[in-house]
Amino acid sequence: MHISFLIHNAYGIGGTIRTTYNLAGTLAEHHDVEIVSVFRHREEPVFAPSPKVRLRHLVDLRKGTPGYEGDDPEYERPATVFPSAEGRYKQYSALTDRRIAAHLRGLDCDVVVGTRPGLNVHIAQQARHGVARVGQEHLTLGTHSAPLKLVLRTQYPRLDAVTTVTEADAATYRKLMRLPGVRVEAVPNSVPAPALPPADGTGKWVVAAGRLAPAKRYDLLIKAFEKVVAERPDWRLRIYGAGAERAKLRALIDKRGLYNHIYLMGPATPLDPEWVKGSIGVVTSSLESFGMTIVEAMRSGLPVVSTDCPHGPGEIIEDGVDGLLVPTGKVDAIAAGLLKLINDDELRRGMGRAALTNSARFDPAEVAGRYEALFTGLASRSGLRGSLHRTRGALLSSALRTSDRSRSALRKAKTA
Amino acid sequence: MTPPAEPGATGAHTPSHEPTGPSGTPHAARTPEEPTIVSAPPQPFGAEAPSVDCIADSAGGLTFDLDAPGAADAQGAWSAALVLRRRGSEDETEEVRLPLAPDGGGRLRAVLPSTVALAEGRWDVYCACADAEPRRLTPGLADLRSLVDRRPGPSTSPLAVRIPYATKHGNLSVRSWLRAPHAEAGDLLLDATGMTLEGRLYRVADPAAWLGGAVLEARLRRDPGVVRTAPVAPAKAEGADDQDFTCTLPFEELTGAWQGGMDVWDLWLRGADGEETARVARILDDVVDKKQIFAYPAQPVDAAYAPAQAGPYYTADNDLALRVDERPPVAG
Repeated sequence: MHISFLIHNAYGIGGTIRTTYNLAGTLAEHHDVEIVSVFRHREEPVFAPSPKVRLRHLVDLRKGTPGYEGDDPEYERPATVFPSAEGRYKQYSALTDRRIAAHLRGLDCDVVVGTRPGLNVHIAQQARHGVARVGQEHLTLGTHSAPLKLVLRTQYPRLDAVTTVTEADAATYRKLMRLPGVRVEAVPNSVPAPALPPADGTGKWVVAAGRLAPAKRYDLLIKAFEKVVAERPDWRLRIYGAGAERAKLRALIDKRGLYNHIYLMGPATPLDPEWVKGSIGVVTSSLESFGMTIVEAMRSGLPVVSTDCPHGPGEIIEDGVDGLLVPTGKVDAIAAGLLKLINDDELRRGMGRAALTNSARFDPAEVAGRYEALFTGLASRSGLRGSLHRTRGALLSSALRTSDRSRSALRKAKTA
Repeated sequence: MTPPAEPGATGAHTPSHEPTGPSGTPHAARTPEEPTIVSAPPQPFGAEAPSVDCIADSAGGLTFDLDAPGAADAQGAWSAALVLRRRGSEDETEEVRLPLAPDGGGRLRAVLPSTVALAEGRWDVYCACADAEPRRLTPGLADLRSLVDRRPGPSTSPLAVRIPYATKHGNLSVRSWLRAPHAEAGDLLLDATGMTLEGRLYRVADPAAWLGGAVLEARLRRDPGVVRTAPVAPAKAEGADDQDFTCTLPFEELTGAWQGGMDVWDLWLRGADGEETARVARILDDVVDKKQIFAYPAQPVDAAYAPAQAGPYYTADNDLALRVDERPPVAG
């Protein structure tokens, strides 16, 4: 099969980029795979793609190079195809509209895969006939704004498949969207096996990693760890990551006198060498679209104590077997979960071994196998059936658009 | 999963170019011993440097595994060497060459045993193959887990600490310390009256005798003649042995001489014999640069000159120091 990924910017840092590289690299063992990046802002990508994957870009933003296109007049004009309700709308333009359209109409592949809502909309509207259209959801439907959900409702019926990273989100898609003939499948993100030996569970360190963002609730973690320290002052906590919350978290640590026990480590890439320095992983988020760090910690042999927040943790951790799920937002419950594993060396090491075994299902080979099955099924749909489905999808799209418009008109009339 | 934090997340049509590091502590910009010697600029695009995986052992030894496609079986491998050069050194001979040998798995391996002395400083790592110009190397995976919470055994030879790290240009370097005796700083307990240091002494023949009657010395950096001392006592914590000590330094000892601006006090232990000294530092772990990570809140203190604040911090060499500074006005 020929498979073409379309991504916002393959040259930067981020979960979507990493997971796309993992997937593309594994698929490239047996298929012809390319990654097309809408933007290129630097010479070399931060993560190195597999040499078997072709990487190219559509708009060149390398400042100071002859190919720089940031001064193109079209680049200053707003996009009309890329939806204005999308979070990255401001970075898109008449130039990206045109380049992406030309790319999609000229596709010479069996499957095209979009990696964010705005690009999925492009694919739904513009991908050449005969190419199977797959839209990936790396976040969740629930976290999109109402205007964006409306756009996706009208556009996604023209896709052949929508993939989510959790079963929970796939269920939401099936419930809230009318997607006849569109396959909605949950395929988790993949995490490769670390190149280092796993943690041995002897170090007295708890490790957390992720952007220092409000949704990670590191404030709760710090308060919970204060209770851990009161009982087990020999255990300490490392938090890896950078972010806007750093100063606030620093102040909280200082105010509570926890500066001998909790350390803000700054960003680390890769994280595997850091996970293996710990014996327990911890996640205190209020929301996780997937829970990549949970899988990473487990693949390094750490049992993870995680809040049972939507959507991912409960689908990754088997509570009491390879980690612990605790109620979201509860300091006491997080502390109790950590202390349970801290105070029982046998339990902790046993769960660490189970975590190592159970997380093998997220190996890129396993995950790519599920995508491969999906893509093969889509590509083998007969051309006739495929085009019939899309005609129906297109009709449905316009019908939905009409009804959505009339509904919003109605709402406006009511509030007026 | 984290929402993708791709560059370009902020602002219309102005993708940012580099991920940002941790924000500085309030004092970061004003401390006087920022490293001024930086590493060589990165290689030009295309001259891709081989990457090196490092494994540290708890004794202070390092193993370097080099991905060198082709080199492992080529004839050049016979003369290949890993070269460490101390940065900023005038002396051309201050260089350590380690033979690179095929490891049997298609890679080249070099070993830096703890017994090979490396002077204190930053050592840039190169690969030298046959007669070719030595090339800088890029860091791969660094397995430093055995450095975490390191507790070296008894010995009187200098304590060797080597931590491999990535320079800001993305090259591999090794930070080295070589100390005897050495006073490792542990927990620092702060309140309005002073700082209590919990530490552990290494590399003396008789720690109990050395510490009995030892003092903590605070030396004023701008005027080395000004020294304040505080008595050192054996640690009483559970599990403590005769290498562990504790010491409380009252802030009023430091604020009396303060006349505004920033005073920095470097901390040393002076042994019972009055002769031997040990710098107080924190080097027995995997963290190459402590300053931003081992951070402590400044405590408000009363000084004759003006309202002041005092607090400990780690220098660019991971030595422990205290600073006395003006207290910023309370907001609002």
